[in-house]
Amino acid sequence: MKTTLIVVVVAALVVVRLTLFRARRRRKSAQSAERTAQSNADTSTRTTPSTRWNAVEAAFGDVGLVAGREIRERLRGRIFRVGTIIMLLAVSAAIVIPTLHKNNTNGTSLQKIGVVGTLSPVTRDLVLAAAQSNSDTVRFVPEATVAIAKSQLKSGASYFAIIHSDEVLLEQPATEASSPADPGLVNEVAEYLGVVIAYHDAHLTAAQAAAVTNSKAVPIRTLVASSKGTASTPSIIGIVLLFLMLTQYCTWIMIGVMQEKSSRVVEVLLATVRPIQLLGGKVLGIGLVALGQALLLVGVALGLGAAVGSNVLHGSAPLGLLAELAWLVLGYAFYCWVYAAAGSMAERQDQVQTLALPLSIPILFGYIYSITVASSGSPNAFYDFLAYFPPTAPFCMSVLVGLGRATWWEFVASALISIAATAGMAMLASRIYRRAVLRTGGRVSLRVLFNRRSA
Amino acid sequence: MSDLLVLQGLRRSYGDVVALNDLSFEVAAGQVVGFLGPNGAGKTTTMRAIFGLTDLDAGSVLWNGRPVGHADRRRFGYMPEERGLYPGMLVGQQLEYLGRLHGLSLHDAAEATSTWLERLEVADRRDSKVEVLSHGNQQRVQLAAALGHNPDLLVLDEPLSGLDPAGIDAIGKVLVEQARNGCCVLLSSHQLDMMEELCDSVTIIDHGRLVVSGSVDELATSGARRLQVRVEGDRNGDWANALAGVTVSERTGGAVRILLEDSVDSDVVLRAAMMAGRVTEFTFTRRRLSEVFREALE
Repeated sequence: MKTTLIVVVVAALVVVRLTLFRARRRRKSAQSAERTAQSNADTSTRTTPSTRWNAVEAAFGDVGLVAGREIRERLRGRIFRVGTIIMLLAVSAAIVIPTLHKNNTNGTSLQKIGVVGTLSPVTRDLVLAAAQSNSDTVRFVPEATVAIAKSQLKSGASYFAIIHSDEVLLEQPATEASSPADPGLVNEVAEYLGVVIAYHDAHLTAAQAAAVTNSKAVPIRTLVASSKGTASTPSIIGIVLLFLMLTQYCTWIMIGVMQEKSSRVVEVLLATVRPIQLLGGKVLGIGLVALGQALLLVGVALGLGAAVGSNVLHGSAPLGLLAELAWLVLGYAFYCWVYAAAGSMAERQDQVQTLALPLSIPILFGYIYSITVASSGSPNAFYDFLAYFPPTAPFCMSVLVGLGRATWWEFVASALISIAATAGMAMLASRIYRRAVLRTGGRVSLRVLFNRRSA
Repeated sequence: MSDLLVLQGLRRSYGDVVALNDLSFEVAAGQVVGFLGPNGAGKTTTMRAIFGLTDLDAGSVLWNGRPVGHADRRRFGYMPEERGLYPGMLVGQQLEYLGRLHGLSLHDAAEATSTWLERLEVADRRDSKVEVLSHGNQQRVQLAAALGHNPDLLVLDEPLSGLDPAGIDAIGKVLVEQARNGCCVLLSSHQLDMMEELCDSVTIIDHGRLVVSGSVDELATSGARRLQVRVEGDRNGDWANALAGVTVSERTGGAVRILLEDSVDSDVVLRAAMMAGRVTEFTFTRRRLSEVFREALE
């Protein structure tokens, strides 16, 4: 069923791509005829969606018009379309492929359970009941000794083992993406075994009933050291996407500003639009494209996760995804001004690259450090500090949320610090932009940037 | 009340370089005003100051008696010296976008785009990207961008540079028509012959300072009397150099243009010319704009 789903998703993407391609061809072939018709057309006959969209733009004034142009130009770009499809495929693969480890039997997962010692009929019934409640089917694999059980776990012949009815043994935690064991079933079996032991010990007297009620699950021991507390796979994927999207969209801003400067169109625009409106429109337009793309990715991730039964919806993963989405917005809001100011100082592509390198250092640092911490699951005090430092907060706070190490007020405090820093950065960037964007023919010195006069 | 742009005591320096030095002049509605000066005289800085693109050390730019504001600038049209359009954007979409930034509705912007592309003979390039157009056509599109919103003031920095004669004629015609319809038109150019034909008045600046200002007719008839004399076999006018009170101002197309001081009798000049060879032309002429320009900067 899951394989079918993947095929359906890929087919849907291909169909969307083909539809866009054919629509573009149709548009091109009809353009000349449309043009003739357009010149004679009544106002009311103009395309309604376009008119509606233009009305939305107009409602936001010059900023809306600038943002609208940015959105249209970006959505029209092949790089954006191809990039979105690649990211969708990557996210889909990251969610679907781990679930393929689990074999399918009519939509349920077959769980091979090694058994060391004798499994009483009551215990056996309880394990089967747990499997049913987790939509699993079970195959018991009798194993003579614990050593054999361990080797069976390593070879994958069994997914987890029940040792003498008082312990559950796995090769690695069931929550790991590469583990074939169903975490829900493992936990439930462990709880039931605890109940059985409690019943046995209590002999069903009143006091024993209380003992049954308060029974605790037996420990789940693993051969490989547990990575308890590490961020889940979707959280790490989210960090990677956050990094890719932040760098991509901020680079768009930088190149866009540089191109307007090098093509000199900025002089025409600034003759009628204020610098802050032009810059604000550009930032808003590209930001909305970024947010749209991110929402699409998160939507697909959650939808696909629910469809294939991925652990994307379990535990703190959805919260982590939402935190990453929020930090994409906050991180973009902070960095877009930095990159815009840098773009206004460049006139050529090589200058953009020279400027982009130092700007990317805090992003790269935050990203690499966060991936490391997300994998180890053990942030230190310095990392906690970085979660409140605006240039690294998008990555660090997202990981802390994914690890369940941040409270809501810590999240809010970090966001507020970031917003305040963004406001300061916006003012500084506008000042630099105004002074630098009309100066051509040489590198703009710091003296000029912070001089009393502009251009 | 007709519109009036007043530039009052503009001063601007870049370090030790003085770009504008107490510059003042006016551009009245219905007139094409030529803004002349050698390279680096401060023309572009002045034009940028009108649009608030450069900060001034002193002075003010007034529109109808009030300092120019953002709303006023939306009613101005600007064509900068270094042309500015989005290279990868379609011509039609670009003009509509710029028109809307100037306050036009979508419908009006589309209509104005069609009208001006038609007028400037580039309607067939509406769906082309700007980067694939020839220099001349890019120039026309740039002018359409400045004209699309029917501006009250047109400021054009070197609009005629790089154009073929047909292009110059087409653009010149449009500019004169705009002025006659009540627009203030200020344009700079180094093509002085064309400017003489196009402009009603000129303002000449040098080192950021006003040197000469006035109507083309006034300037043409002012100054010393001048003769255009053509003598067969003589292209240099050496015969005139020997005459007292006579100065050769220009040698052009085999003829010489000479300035006469008040005391000089033109008959004396004619006799000297006849002594040098057969005289095929001997005409009192108006002062050319190129002469006004050259003499102003001497």
